Amino acid sequence: MTVIRTVAAGLALLLAAACTAPAPPRSESRTAGSTACSQRQGRPGAETATTIDVIEQAYFCILGNYYSGATLDARSLLTAAFAALTQELNRNGRDVPEATMPALTGDRKADWTAFETVYRKIADRAPDLRDKLAIVTLEAMVAALGDNHAAWAHDVKRHPDYYDGDGYGLGLQANVNGPQVEGNPGVAVPPLFVTTVQGGAAQAAGLRPGDIIESINGSAPFIDGQATPAIKALYPQYPQARPVRLRLLRQSTGRRWSVTLKPGLYQRDLAALQVVQSKLLDDSIAYVRMRGFAPDSADRVFKAISRLRTGRTLTGVVLDLRGNGGGSPLEATRLVSAFVHGKATAYLCTVDNKCETLRTDDTVELLNLPLVALTDRSCASACEHVSAAVKDLRIGQLVGTRTAGVISGPAQGYLLRNNTMLGFPARHHLGPNREVIDRIGVPPDHYVPLTPKDAAAGRDPALAKALTLLQK
Amino acid sequence: MRQILAAAAGLAVLAASACSTPTPPRSAAPSATPTGPATLPAPTGAHPVGTTALYLKDTSRPDPWNLDVDARELKVTLWYPAKQRDGERAPYMTPKESELAMRRYGIAGVPHDTLSKTRTNAIKDAEPTGRKLPLVVLSPGFTNPMSTLTSLAEDLASRGYVVAGIDHTYESYATTFPDGRVAECLACDSDTDPGFGTGVVAGRAADVSFVLDQLPSKWDGSDRIDRSQIAMVGQSIGGASAMAAMVKDSRVRAGIDMDGTTYARIPKSGFSRPFMFLGSPQHVPGGRDTSWDRDWKLLTGWKRWVVLSGAEHQSFTDGPLMAGAFGITPAYGVLPAARAAELTRTYVAAFLDQHLKSRRQPLLDKPSSRYPEVKFCPAGCGQS
Repeated sequence: MTVIRTVAAGLALLLAAACTAPAPPRSESRTAGSTACSQRQGRPGAETATTIDVIEQAYFCILGNYYSGATLDARSLLTAAFAALTQELNRNGRDVPEATMPALTGDRKADWTAFETVYRKIADRAPDLRDKLAIVTLEAMVAALGDNHAAWAHDVKRHPDYYDGDGYGLGLQANVNGPQVEGNPGVAVPPLFVTTVQGGAAQAAGLRPGDIIESINGSAPFIDGQATPAIKALYPQYPQARPVRLRLLRQSTGRRWSVTLKPGLYQRDLAALQVVQSKLLDDSIAYVRMRGFAPDSADRVFKAISRLRTGRTLTGVVLDLRGNGGGSPLEATRLVSAFVHGKATAYLCTVDNKCETLRTDDTVELLNLPLVALTDRSCASACEHVSAAVKDLRIGQLVGTRTAGVISGPAQGYLLRNNTMLGFPARHHLGPNREVIDRIGVPPDHYVPLTPKDAAAGRDPALAKALTLLQK
Repeated sequence: MRQILAAAAGLAVLAASACSTPTPPRSAAPSATPTGPATLPAPTGAHPVGTTALYLKDTSRPDPWNLDVDARELKVTLWYPAKQRDGERAPYMTPKESELAMRRYGIAGVPHDTLSKTRTNAIKDAEPTGRKLPLVVLSPGFTNPMSTLTSLAEDLASRGYVVAGIDHTYESYATTFPDGRVAECLACDSDTDPGFGTGVVAGRAADVSFVLDQLPSKWDGSDRIDRSQIAMVGQSIGGASAMAAMVKDSRVRAGIDMDGTTYARIPKSGFSRPFMFLGSPQHVPGGRDTSWDRDWKLLTGWKRWVVLSGAEHQSFTDGPLMAGAFGITPAYGVLPAARAAELTRTYVAAFLDQHLKSRRQPLLDKPSSRYPEVKFCPAGCGQS
């Protein structure tokens, strides 16, 4: 889950991977453009406290390396950071008379010095809040980029009783999940309902797919059709452990009831966690589900199809990309290369519009099979890279719902001096037609949403549609 | 995995597994002139050592990695006390295995068959000797062929143990079967999947139980084994598999995990058979890999948590002994290869002597001035 969740947030480089020694995806190692921070090398040491010096390093790291770092108005970062700082003081009932924003001139260094001077005064007045203040300040500075592949990973802890493959949380997944919660929340549409019961408290409480979640801790998940922050409470991360109260409706029986679910570790089905899963459908269609673009995943897809093809004639491929949080752009390009050669699958462009073309790898053998890809609002990042290529290059049809729109550009990780990781893209992603996909997503050719009734009955209308298309 | 291998240019020889390595090795400069094939250190025990290979097939379960194979085939290498010292020394691995392994480890600039020319001490197919010999199952790290633990295996055999080393098929860069087929690392494709390590150790535990079932009928020296005295030792995920095998199979009386992140669930009620963690400084209490801290609380019997200063993940294998052959200069401050082999052999043998031969070993009770690198955790080792 760590891998998937991580890339879901668009941060292929941050945090830890499945095993204990993660490393950056192959495609994403490039030399740092600035000395303010260095690209992640191997495994960082133990984290130490975030200080004003760390915030300074992050500020200059962003200005030196971020996509628009060279041109952006650095005052916007400092202002957002300062606003968050003052809000945190207020939240703690500890406002400080000196907490006024210094005048900024547009000179990046001088402005930093002015900011730091005031920051230090404030921090000295509230020494017990020092860590908290530093964290909200740095978080706000990164958030000010408004980039869904920019994030600062700190204080990442695992439950002490965690085993590889375990999940943490309530043990359920709803139709609104992953990138719809964090990366691009405006896209979620009501109703909110359970799609998968993975284990833990949700399983113990007898929840089922299709159960509609009417309220979370007393708050509505949608107000006037707009998703509310309440939905986030469905996905607590360790060490968050506060119980979550849900009011549920089971449409089939009309039953309405409430449960209180306590977040915790739960065991998951290992087979269901495999990044690539495959089976034969209707005796002639290769169904391959890809949960992420992990190293080797494209080759695993090819091997799976080849195996299903042995001794029989396949009539098509269903590539199930629903819930795929992305990963390596290299794997995305490789996957597309089994369906078309000699094309651009995407462009990675700097702020001054110098673009690298991500071309198909024409050493990959063409499958020469009709393709239907299943997409949803949780198909993010590299998953959208593939979806856009499928659509624009006319190598297949998309069925399901629009993709997440969480694909600003491939994130690179930078190690800060306190051993926390700052990640953001140096270049932004464009589709094969040089169109922006970020925030917009890729629309399906056939719109087939999942309803609570489908989920309750175990029906998969998108897959059914895909099979119909391939059997024509 | 291969990302770590990408760092392999400067790698402390044998590659580290993503799944059990706390850190990539400190970089070493590939600067020295290759010395030619390595010679494994001489075994320290009294007995000459023989070795032979068995090929077993478990038809009760499909192979977990090769979906087209409906049985699990295993190569088991045995090392044992032998009657005579003379005879043909067993090859370390085949030239093809050497080539496959060296390519995956990213070793260039020396002949591909360099590993196969490593000089071993065990006599091929020598006649076994002794009676009531305790048995030690050995399991290598992920991607490492079984032969990477030969130095330890030969030493244990010379001290009067029968050693059964398992090549867990498709989890290593190269395993050769009698018909010439070479199984490569199919498991490497999925080694970043969540739950991968958990699946590997469960599969290895099944491998171990099958080998224990089969040994009496498949090796004609097996009547020399005292089947009530069985232990398991492994490096990296092989060490994690020792824990997994013990949880599943009560025939395994004691175990050692050499620097492996653990994956098997120990029952909450605890686990009382003797177990020793033997690690590099990445595996101190409160370190980044929390699996030993988690398990330590659940070990209720005789237990030790020992950390070797200056050790790296591969210090418990033959890896460092190959540095000269590969033309690699070990990084400053890393435990020298010969010393690493000596410490590994000494502490593994002490553990086995105490628990399988019932000979009390004061070495395991407290730090020793002869081996100042050895720290006893959690009390005697600060967080590095």
